[in-house]
Amino acid sequence: MKKEIKICLPLYKIVYSVFFVAVLSLIRGVGSTFEIGVTLEPLMALLAAVFCADTYVQEIASKRSEVGQLYPMKNRLASILRRMAVQEAYLLVLAAAGYGLFLIVQKPILFYGTRYGEWSMFGGYLAAIVVTLIFWGMLSHTLSCLFRTMWAGIGGCLIVWILTNSTTGEQLFGKWNLFSYTFRTIEDSRDMDWLCGKLVCLVLCMVMAGMLPRIMRRRG
Amino acid sequence: MSIQIKDLTVTFKNGVTAIRHADLEIPKGIFGLLGENGAGKTTLMRVLTTVLSPTAGTVSLDGMLYQEGNYAKIRKKIGYLPQEIDLYPGLTVQECLEYMGDLSGIPKEVCRKRIAGYLEKTSLTEHRKKKMRQLSGGMKRRVGLVQALLNEPEFLIVDEPTTGLDPEERIRIRNLLADFSEKRTVLFSTHVVEDLVATCNQLAVMKKGEFLYAGSMRNLMDEAIGHVWMCEVPDDEQARKLERTYHVSSKQYTESGLRMKIICKEKPELTCTPCNVSLEDAYIYLMNRQG
Repeated sequence: MKKEIKICLPLYKIVYSVFFVAVLSLIRGVGSTFEIGVTLEPLMALLAAVFCADTYVQEIASKRSEVGQLYPMKNRLASILRRMAVQEAYLLVLAAAGYGLFLIVQKPILFYGTRYGEWSMFGGYLAAIVVTLIFWGMLSHTLSCLFRTMWAGIGGCLIVWILTNSTTGEQLFGKWNLFSYTFRTIEDSRDMDWLCGKLVCLVLCMVMAGMLPRIMRRRG
Repeated sequence: MSIQIKDLTVTFKNGVTAIRHADLEIPKGIFGLLGENGAGKTTLMRVLTTVLSPTAGTVSLDGMLYQEGNYAKIRKKIGYLPQEIDLYPGLTVQECLEYMGDLSGIPKEVCRKRIAGYLEKTSLTEHRKKKMRQLSGGMKRRVGLVQALLNEPEFLIVDEPTTGLDPEERIRIRNLLADFSEKRTVLFSTHVVEDLVATCNQLAVMKKGEFLYAGSMRNLMDEAIGHVWMCEVPDDEQARKLERTYHVSSKQYTESGLRMKIICKEKPELTCTPCNVSLEDAYIYLMNRQG
């Protein structure tokens, strides 16, 4: 795992991701704590798409994939999954830290006003963001592998992001939207419909994971 | 271990045929693969490493056919060093090799022992804690060679391993390849003729996806005897005239003018003497004899 950390978390990635969240917390104003999760979710999705785009295609760009072709597929897949796990864990920590930064920098009004209410809202945010990060990381990685370039991953994700993180997307997909957490009815704390959108994300992730060996065999 | 290639053709999706109806047998020891840029050497190597599937024809390794069902077994027998490979820049030499050994499924302890052994042989032991990005081009190439040897392959494929290296480092790589060819088949692709002279007896010459020659180096050089001439011309103008008419393999300024080595089928119509044939001359003769 230590080697995977060194491979997929180089200094430049850490610097730009921390910078992204830090700048965001400075320039994006939030009035109330409920807005923090809503603000962070789509932007962390974008960050995950950029961050995970080169998980495997760095092997293609460096020609290591030509040697990698000789290795057993299960070992190659295991190494990719380890890399994804490392990146997702890092992004999750960053997403949690970003929430804290917004609290410190923006000093928003506490939406629920109680410690329990605020912590449960943070818990909900973490649950949603885990799925969001996994989905967008996986989508970007899959598209990159399919087209053998990280730009396809980033570009493809951007298109899906624009489509789903919009009023049109909200009207089109409703509670099944990928950003269902962002578009949820915030006033109703018992509204758990946003879980449907996250379920869609998880199902799509499983489909993409299932396709990966085939993509790698066909696209090197 | 021998490799047999029969009527091999590789055509890409864009319609370009990189290899056409090629037949070749690669025996044990170092086998050289020579050819101009774009001749099809790298494509052939990619087929031999199973990265690329042939459009037609067959390839077999010790009688085992290159086909989907056999790929797993074949891959275990192959070590490959591509022309350009950028090994994990953020990892140390030791970590990089351990990681690649792990990916290829070698048990950890066995892998560590092999790494230690090969780092010793390639004079890299003292650099094992250096990051890959800190190594010189030659050292990176040696690490690449070690990664190709980690699974103790019976068939080692190296694609232009000496390109861009200084003379000392080139000699080192060549000698290592000779050492490692003792009990295995090594396919050594290059366009540096001197590298082949120094390492192998058998070679194949490729041009535009076909084998112009396959056999011993001696025979190839014998074929050019009587077609290589040395002559002297007084000035540049005469030299340019000669260059327009014949293939000139070397040109040297002397006190009396220019000494030129000419390669042509018949004796040139000027004062010249037959001279010794080098592999380079034989290669030029072969490439141009075929038009």
